[in-house]
Formats: sequence, C-alpha cells, structure tokens
Amino acid sequence: MSQPVRASLWAGLYCPGLPLSAVWDHQPGIGPVAVHSHQRGQARIFQAGRIAAQHGVRAGMGLSQALALLPQLQSRPRNPAMEQRALEQIALAAYGHSHQVVLAPPDTVLLEIAGSQRLRGGLQPLLDQLVKTLRQQGFRVRCGTAVVPAAARLLARVGQHADSPERLQHTLDALPIDALGLAPGKQQAIIGCGLRRLGELVRMGAPERARRFGSALNAELDQLYGRQPTPLAGWQPPERYRQRLELPVPSERSEALLFAGNRALDHLGGWLEVRDRALTALHVTLEREDAGNPIALGLSLARPGFDRARLLEMLALKLDRIRLPAPVAALVLKAETTLEHRPPQADLWDGRNHGDAWPALLDRLRARLGEEALSGIAPQADHRPEHAWRWVPPGTTRVCTETRPRPTWLLPEPRPCQRADFRLEDGPERIEAGWWDGQDCRRDYWIARDGRNRRVWIFHEHEPRSGWFLHGLFC
Amino acid sequence: MPEAQPLQHLLDQRSDLWRGRRRPQARCTGSGRAELDAWLPDGGWPCGRLVEILPACLGSGELDLLMPLLAEQTRQGQPVMLIAPPLVPCPQRLHRAGIALDRLVVVRAPDQALWAAEQSLKSGVCGSVLVWHPRGRVDARSIRRLQLAARESDAPAFVCYRRHQQPPPSLSALRLGLEPGPQLTLLRGDGPTRALHLGRANVIELAVRRRQSASAP
Repeated sequence: MSQPVRASLWAGLYCPGLPLSAVWDHQPGIGPVAVHSHQRGQARIFQAGRIAAQHGVRAGMGLSQALALLPQLQSRPRNPAMEQRALEQIALAAYGHSHQVVLAPPDTVLLEIAGSQRLRGGLQPLLDQLVKTLRQQGFRVRCGTAVVPAAARLLARVGQHADSPERLQHTLDALPIDALGLAPGKQQAIIGCGLRRLGELVRMGAPERARRFGSALNAELDQLYGRQPTPLAGWQPPERYRQRLELPVPSERSEALLFAGNRALDHLGGWLEVRDRALTALHVTLEREDAGNPIALGLSLARPGFDRARLLEMLALKLDRIRLPAPVAALVLKAETTLEHRPPQADLWDGRNHGDAWPALLDRLRARLGEEALSGIAPQADHRPEHAWRWVPPGTTRVCTETRPRPTWLLPEPRPCQRADFRLEDGPERIEAGWWDGQDCRRDYWIARDGRNRRVWIFHEHEPRSGWFLHGLFC
Repeated sequence: MPEAQPLQHLLDQRSDLWRGRRRPQARCTGSGRAELDAWLPDGGWPCGRLVEILPACLGSGELDLLMPLLAEQTRQGQPVMLIAPPLVPCPQRLHRAGIALDRLVVVRAPDQALWAAEQSLKSGVCGSVLVWHPRGRVDARSIRRLQLAARESDAPAFVCYRRHQQPPPSLSALRLGLEPGPQLTLLRGDGPTRALHLGRANVIELAVRRRQSASAP
C-alpha cells in the first residue's frame, strides 16, 4: 500500500582516544604521554598513551604514582574545550561523506549513510575511506552501523553492524549489560538482579523495569531499539574558520611550527571543501609562551584557492623573515574566504597552468620580500611631477592623460644642481600648482644635456625655493 | 635528394652539434627596432638566455633600449618584472612608449634582487625580466644561478650592472656596453664590431607603428 520509504542507516564513529588526541596533538616521537583529571582534589591518570601503557601506566592511577613508575611521562590535564574541537574535526571529515552529521559527545560522531552508499561504491569502502582520512588527521576511530542513531552510537563502541531492524534486535539482545555505559551504581543494580545480557533486561516488563531502575532507562531502551525516535541536533560546519592549535611543547624552531601549520592546513582544507569556499587570505597568529604580544603573520593569496604546498612554502618564507623573541605556545589560524571559486585551469596545449603560476609567483615574492616590496606604478593627475606618480598594487589600471614629454627616470626627490653644468636644449615648461595643499610651487622645466652627454630634466624654481634642481633622466 | 631533407632536419635539432658552415640559429624575440635587430647577432634578443648590460653611467638608456620589447609583451598580456631599478620609472613615459602599466611589476628590494629575478624566471610566466644588480661586488655564483634560471624560462633576461662593476667570466649570450646616446657596443657574442648609435628616432618609429596597428580592426 504505502510507498517503500528508504530506510535510514546510521554510522557511528567512536574515538576512544579522544581526550588524549585532543591535548596531545598527534606529534610523532614525543615519548610517553597521558591525560589526567582531578578527582576529589587528586590528580589521576585519565588516559595513557600507547608507550605509557606499555610501561604500566593505567587509567585511575594517581599522577604521582605514574610519575614514579615512568619519570619521563608527560601528562596534561583534560581539556573539554579542546575535546569538543577535536570532535568537531571528526564531524568535519564526516560531513564530506554525509548530509546529516550529529555530534554525540563526548567521543562519538553519528552520520547518516544510507544516502551516501553509492558515493564510494558501497558501504564498506565509504567507511574504510573515512577511517583512513581520520587516521591521517591523527584520530583512530571505531565504526559501527545501525538503523537507529542511538544504537549506532552503542554499536560503534563494540564495532558491530546491524543493517536491518531484525538484525539490530538480535545484535542488541546479545550485548552484555556493561556495554550500555550506565552509571556504575545502576549497572551494579541490574547485574545484581541476575541480568547478564541486554535481551534479558528488555524481556522484563516495562513497569517493573521503571520501578526497579528508574524510568529514564526505559526511554533509553526504547530509543535504542527504535521504538521511540532519537532526538537529534544536526551539526553544520562553522560559518567562519578559526582554529587554535597548541604546540605540544613550546618551541621557537620553525620546523616544529611548520609541522603544526601543516596539521592545521589539513583541517582548513577539509573545511574549505565542505563549505565550498576559496581562501583569499590566511591570518596566522603565533601566541608566545611568555604571554607577550602575539606575532601576526598574514598570508594573502593573489588568487582565491587552496594550494597546500604553496601556503606551506609561504609560511616558511614568512617564518624565515622574523626572529621569534620567545618560544611559541600556540598557533591561531583565521581564514578569509570567498564564495567565488575558480578551479585552476591548465593550458590545453602544453598542459602548464599559466593562470595559476603568476599569482603563485607574486605570493612567493611577497612572502619573502614583504607586502610593500611589490608594486605597480601608476600616473596620478597632478601637475607637479613629484606628485604625478604613485606606487599601486600590481595589476592596477589607471588612465594617463599626460602628453608633454616626460623623462624615463625620476629622482625620488629633486636634487639641487648648478646651472653651469648643463646645456639647455628645450623648454621651458612652466608648472605652477599646489596652492590647494600648501605645497605651492612655481618652476620652469628644461630638457638639458649634462657633462656625460645625458639628456636630463632640470628645473629652475622660483617659489618656494630659488635655484636649479635635477629631477629626471631622459634615457 | 629527398633523403637529404630529413638528415638536415635531424642535424638542425641538435643544438650541441657544431657544424663548420653556419652557426645554429638561436631562438630570439624581436627588439622592436629594425636596425637593432639587424645589428644583434641572433637578429633579436635571445630567449631563455641572459643578456648583460654594462651602462657607462646611470641613465645611459638601458630602459629606453628595452621599451619596445616591454611594450609589445605587456600589450600581449605578458607580465614584465623590473627588479630593483635605481630610480623611479616615470609612468607617463612608460605609458607613452606603449607599455601597459597594469602588466608591469616593480620589485623594490635591492638586497634580494637576484633572488627575485631567479624566482621570476623559474616561474616561466614573465614576458621578460630586467634586474639591476645590487651595489657592491659581483658574485659569479649568483650570476650563474640566474643563467640557469633563464634557461628554464622562455623569456629574455637582462641584468644591468652598476658603474665600475665587472661582470664575472660567464657564458651569457650577450654582453653589451651602453653609453649615453644610446650607443651600443658588443662586448661578447659574435657579431659586428662596430658600435650602433640608436638615437631618438626609434621612439617615433614605434609611435607610427602603433598608430597603424590601432587603425587596423
């Protein structure tokens, strides 16, 4: 009777090491690391890295005990804000594969994948791709799929898949009670009743369950088995890009900064892709360890786009130019973007991308020489020759109306000279101007020859100074 | 005889093969002045090779000499780099010579001039690159690097030395002495030994040519 509705299928991405990855930003070769949290005024290990775990550091151990066990252990307190950011980073990667992404804090991201099955040629390739992308970004995730979002979250923890309601029920029934992740007291109460598996708990009547374990558990089980819809709040990538990256160890070595920058560009690239925007400028702020004035570096792109290799090269050139007064503790990236997105086009005949090479050259020169070192030159409507030109950004077009002869070279400032050194050839050209801005002048310009037979441009000034000045060279 | 044609063709392709009768014709681009083209050994500015200019003094006409070339290239939309010019090039004069100012980029970084020139040549997008050598001693290695970079691009590359600077022994295609006038002497490269006096007539010639091309559709 009714139209077959396309069943939805949810994948859960569970990142068990999130608290650790969030504060220790996947720097290789850093040694044993851990995260600790404060419980009743005492620092306890919350999660230990792989090397630390091999040396016997366990979760729940006191920090001082862990340090006694492994003196070179580095531990940082848990940082919920950074965990949230890391979770959003996983969500960002997921957003490239699905239209519907939901955050399930503290450590899981859910995405709807029924609509994306054909994107990568099947469900398994899609998940494999996602896991691989996240691993490159430093997150090890476990996948689970289910037809219900709440169940997908649970199955991600145990790494199981259930792509039909029957299978879901079967899989859930077989799960042990402690997979639910309930509060320890409640879990003890259920196990104390002799219930081992989820199926046994479900077979108990709902009123009795509510009486024994509270009504919240019923709602939870209903959501899990898909009898009640799961309330979901869809996640969208942020409108504006801002990312703060703490360095594991404050450093003034540009290699360490570039390594962190490389990681940040990974993330930025993902954001630009899902937002379908092109980068026009990137503001990098280096926060100093000694809390002094942060150092700002601006990378502007002559053409909107995103070329990682070029951005990294520009960042390296910028870092080469400056001397860091103190070790840098964190990098903050802010992106200026545009919706105008023109993919680079290669020349049909020789396959070289000329359109992109020119902005790339300008960017590279600017990064090393500074913004002001590159300019075009443009005429300006003023009768006084020293005001008739100005430096402009390259590529600026301006109209030129001057028809009188002008020299090839202008001296930056007119230089006093002796009339006797020159032979006047052509002139005079009277220039009287500037009464409006207080730099009033009255001069007679002459084309003359100097002792070396060069044609020069000199003038005899009557006001405000009096005397002869050299202003330009004609060849 | 029909077999001789491909062999001739094959031999022409080998630039490293020296044959007694005729020097291989190097690729070049017209200088925009007929008498200068006739005077230059290759019939124009050599492409992808370094041209050294030694002016007798500042303002001997080094920029005027190249203006027709720069005008032609900028009008075709090719960017042109002026790197570390010693004075300010006057935009009114450049415009009058036919140079599209929006395609002209001036790099004002004297101490990094040779690096900037090298990067510009390597990018392969510039119409031509004109660099003024920074003051002080000439480093043979940096000129050599510039030569190698010039080979990577199709553009003619010009390096203009300061007064009293001695260029290093190098394999540049052309070395020109320049005196006010402008008057050219060939210091390196086989060609006429006589000096060429260009005078001021060329500018007018260019103006006439431009008017003709403008009246054409």
